[in-house]
Amino acid sequence: MGRVLKKEDYKNFLIKFKNAGELIAPVKTDMLRFQKIEDVEDIKLEGNPFFPLKKFFLPNEEILLKIRNGLTKELKRKKSFFSNEKKKIIFGAKLCDINGLSILDKLFLDHEYPDEAYKYRRENIIVVGVNCLTPPSQHCFCSSMDLKKESYDLLLHERENDYYIDVLSETGKKLVKYLPEENFDYPLPETRKKLDKKNLWPFFADNYWENDSEQCVSCQRCTILCPTCFCFDMFDNINPSTRNGNRKRKIDSCHSKDFTKVAGGHVFRDTRLKQYRHRVLHKVQFFEDKFKRSMCTGCGRCIEHCHSKIDFVKTINEDFK
Amino acid sequence: MKSIYQAKRYKIKDIQRQSNNNIMLRIKTKINPSPGQFVEVSIPGIGESPISTASYNKKILDLNVQVVGNVTEALAKMRIGQKIHLRGPYGTSYPLEQLKGENLILVAGGCGVAPLRAVIEYLKERRLDYKEIHLFFGFRSPKDILFKEEMKEWKSLYHLNLSVDKAPEENPFNCPVGFVTQILEEADISADNSSILLCGPPVMMDKSITILENKGFSTDKMWISLERHMKCSTGKCGHCMVNGKYLCIDGPVFRYDKVKGIDE
Repeated sequence: MGRVLKKEDYKNFLIKFKNAGELIAPVKTDMLRFQKIEDVEDIKLEGNPFFPLKKFFLPNEEILLKIRNGLTKELKRKKSFFSNEKKKIIFGAKLCDINGLSILDKLFLDHEYPDEAYKYRRENIIVVGVNCLTPPSQHCFCSSMDLKKESYDLLLHERENDYYIDVLSETGKKLVKYLPEENFDYPLPETRKKLDKKNLWPFFADNYWENDSEQCVSCQRCTILCPTCFCFDMFDNINPSTRNGNRKRKIDSCHSKDFTKVAGGHVFRDTRLKQYRHRVLHKVQFFEDKFKRSMCTGCGRCIEHCHSKIDFVKTINEDFK
Repeated sequence: MKSIYQAKRYKIKDIQRQSNNNIMLRIKTKINPSPGQFVEVSIPGIGESPISTASYNKKILDLNVQVVGNVTEALAKMRIGQKIHLRGPYGTSYPLEQLKGENLILVAGGCGVAPLRAVIEYLKERRLDYKEIHLFFGFRSPKDILFKEEMKEWKSLYHLNLSVDKAPEENPFNCPVGFVTQILEEADISADNSSILLCGPPVMMDKSITILENKGFSTDKMWISLERHMKCSTGKCGHCMVNGKYLCIDGPVFRYDKVKGIDE
């Protein structure tokens, strides 16, 4: 069951969000990026933000444990995200980014070892999505990636005269309870580009991996901009004189040279070919084998912003036959 | 909710120097890992390191540490009575319960002997449940032999085949000089009702498996322990992932036919 918002009430609807807490939405600065909103007029919903949604849930660098006098101590977190009971609301995320959260949930939430820091953020950040009417980029291929209508609190779908708001969570329900109800199954956008899903194991030793990886410069943009890349490094940061510091995690990339380095100096995935193949197969094969769902959500960022314009979708579609 | 990365502090009871660059830390703890599992050892401020466990079912946990990196170097400088942080145990173990009534062949090289020491301690308590037990352990030189005291005991209880790659000086164990794979090739072992437990450098394991396959052993009777730098050990960080398998939670011990031919 969803709700209906009149077009003339749209601005007030956003102002309500802004007053309820910290509102974060896409803003055009040097590029389109998620940012704290001062004036709701600044919000730009056309196009997909440069950086994906994941950074609000898995920050680039974060403290896992405190180290005090040579001992590791757990972080004390406030029950609510902000002391003054203000909520953090992210508005304007696209369904590909939101599905990225479902993927992260599988490893950081519904897992044998749930991650406390991630769980805390997931529970305290409200996600309000916006449905794409047309694909924001020619590189989008989400309609072939079976996106699911899940992992958001609210999602806006623009119709001719009004907005339909899909409600998934109890928190979301409370935010829109004053609006009239309606039942509507909103359509997903149709992208021109599509990934031809297939079993890639028979092509593991194929030469086409080499063609693509030869152009790769290991700039790691693909992993930074991916809404589902989560690999991280753990390290200690300490002041030697006080023995105080932190045990931290930092987002890492499988395209980095030292990613598979072991003590003694041996690197297991030592060539770009191996690194590139590992990333692509992790996205469309390894995760699928384990969770019966592709890790790629089809946002197309890794292709659009690739330094060498490597297009793994094209390679899979055209060359692996 | 508790953080999965939080470690507990334990006291070092004893430190035994095993060889030039190997020490064994004996730690008083209630952590009771199965043979083949590993723990994350850490010194706050320096970092964490995954170390395989080398003992079974005792109040004391033995960790054989080879000095190769920052954390292990710092561990080697620790003294008795100092405290280290541990979390775990993590990963899969050798399925010893399942292998009851079989002949066991343990093949290891260098510090790969350490996890198999846990297997041997497990077997010692249940010796009658298993048939013949063959040990094939290879080291670089007589100086590098680990668990020297125990080797004497193992020699009397099991069929111990100890070898060294080279013996430039003295050879107190009088063990044959040559790779452990050569000894394995010449050994009189039968594939009938036998299982293999392997741990060691990748080259040694590859060669041993080829030799054993030629001798008629089937790959579903081999259990190997793979190694990577596990950083989170909870199936997330991705550093130990090989072909979609997280070695920290899906491994480190695999039945060989499940991982045969996996490439990076």
